[in-house]
Amino acid sequence: MLGVRALFGIGLLVTSRGGSVLTHTGACAHVASNIYSKDLAHRQACTMANTIKYLGQEEAQHIDEELFNEYSFSVDQLMELAGLSCATAVSKGYPLQSLLKSPPRVLVICGPGNNGGDGLVCARHLKLFGYAPSVLYPKRPNKQLFQNLTTQCEKMDISFLTELPEWSQLFITVSVTQLCFPFGLFIFILKDEARVEHGCPDGFQPDMLISLTAPKKAANHFKGRYHFLGGRFVPPALEKKFQLNLPPYPDTDCVYQLN
Amino acid sequence: MRFVSLSVFYSKTEVATVETELLRDYHFGQQQLIEIWGHACAIAITKAFPLSSLSKKQPTLLVVCGPEQNGSIGLVCARHLRMFEYEPTIFYPKRSPQSLHQDFTVQCEKMDIPFLSYLPTEVQLLNDAYNLVIDAILGPETDHKEVKEPYAGMLVTLKQVKIPIVSVDVPSGCDVDEPAKDGINPEVLISLTAPKKCATGFSGKHFLAGRFLPYDIQKKYELNLPEFPGTECVIEL
Repeated sequence: MLGVRALFGIGLLVTSRGGSVLTHTGACAHVASNIYSKDLAHRQACTMANTIKYLGQEEAQHIDEELFNEYSFSVDQLMELAGLSCATAVSKGYPLQSLLKSPPRVLVICGPGNNGGDGLVCARHLKLFGYAPSVLYPKRPNKQLFQNLTTQCEKMDISFLTELPEWSQLFITVSVTQLCFPFGLFIFILKDEARVEHGCPDGFQPDMLISLTAPKKAANHFKGRYHFLGGRFVPPALEKKFQLNLPPYPDTDCVYQLN
Repeated sequence: MRFVSLSVFYSKTEVATVETELLRDYHFGQQQLIEIWGHACAIAITKAFPLSSLSKKQPTLLVVCGPEQNGSIGLVCARHLRMFEYEPTIFYPKRSPQSLHQDFTVQCEKMDIPFLSYLPTEVQLLNDAYNLVIDAILGPETDHKEVKEPYAGMLVTLKQVKIPIVSVDVPSGCDVDEPAKDGINPEVLISLTAPKKCATGFSGKHFLAGRFLPYDIQKKYELNLPEFPGTECVIEL
């Protein structure tokens, strides 16, 4: 049973269209990934991270549409890159050697939408990076892509839980869910139609946020330690069109630390 | 970069078997795999030829793509190299009719990556224009013994270039299961997933790229792959 109170007690926060990373101490870290925002990588590097554009929901959707319709990207292609960014950011914020248990347990909570798919890819890469992820995926879309990603995880010996485990066993929770914009993901998992309209429920303190493609306006509320940008696939023309002002990713990294 | 020596090399049959298993049993998608390989390939190229090491004014490179999967991997590789601030040009004379592969072409075109309409036979033109050539012509899925046109001619031209060649997975024109002799002799070889038998005794720079293979498969085929450091998806062998 997923009790809301239990979740609140843990201090888990799931932001809209994103994941949260919850640390053992009770602080929440958010790994928010919105792969379906369009990103444009400037040829001229943007030197000031604070001029990066924060997207509204409609704009984010337009960018997604263009990526799939005009640029002919496929969902599984971009999801693979997005999930890899998430896993990479988690490993930068919470390196293996800094964690107490070996291999460190990570819970990846996947919501019913596309971001849940990002979470599945993230879990798979975390496993390859030496973490010990488990997945909680209560509502699975009836689409081949998600079934495939689930199989890929299962075949990597990533266990799928039926309920929240004992928190004391966990060190990090990564929650990737798709919610109404901007906040309220967790509650959405529990009750299909429930929506939270404004801001974060009290007590949820995400530690890390991973914005995919470009940060969303909701990220302005983020007060945690780590804000990463991920999803390094935005064509330059698209970035220019939407004036995303993306910062230059270092070298071949697929994440950029914004704070 | 860690240097690792490998004892097991993959045969052509094993490559095909593993790929079938990945698609059929593990439910990986073809586009997903090509994206993983192309991305890892691009990263390997940046390690072998960092931007700062290129001798020409512009970081140009030529990506020559064949008609099958190896070519599509080349297309994805070119796209990521563009993201990494290189300036790739693509030569893709015979395009795959499969829509899956066509998407990769559109993605490159929309990144403003130029496509050559023909490959000059005048080798000096290539030497002058590009810092290196990426050979993504023929992969382990192709029969290298009967190389058809236009690829046979292309291989003749490419064998004469003075600039470094990087081969994706298999040096084009080489028999996958034999130590390389007849085909392209690249300076750098990027083996995808696991090195092929033709890489035995390869004397140039050899990278292993692509970090996704489930442990079960590694064990089943006794691949003994090295451990990738950190979150790297490329390792120098």
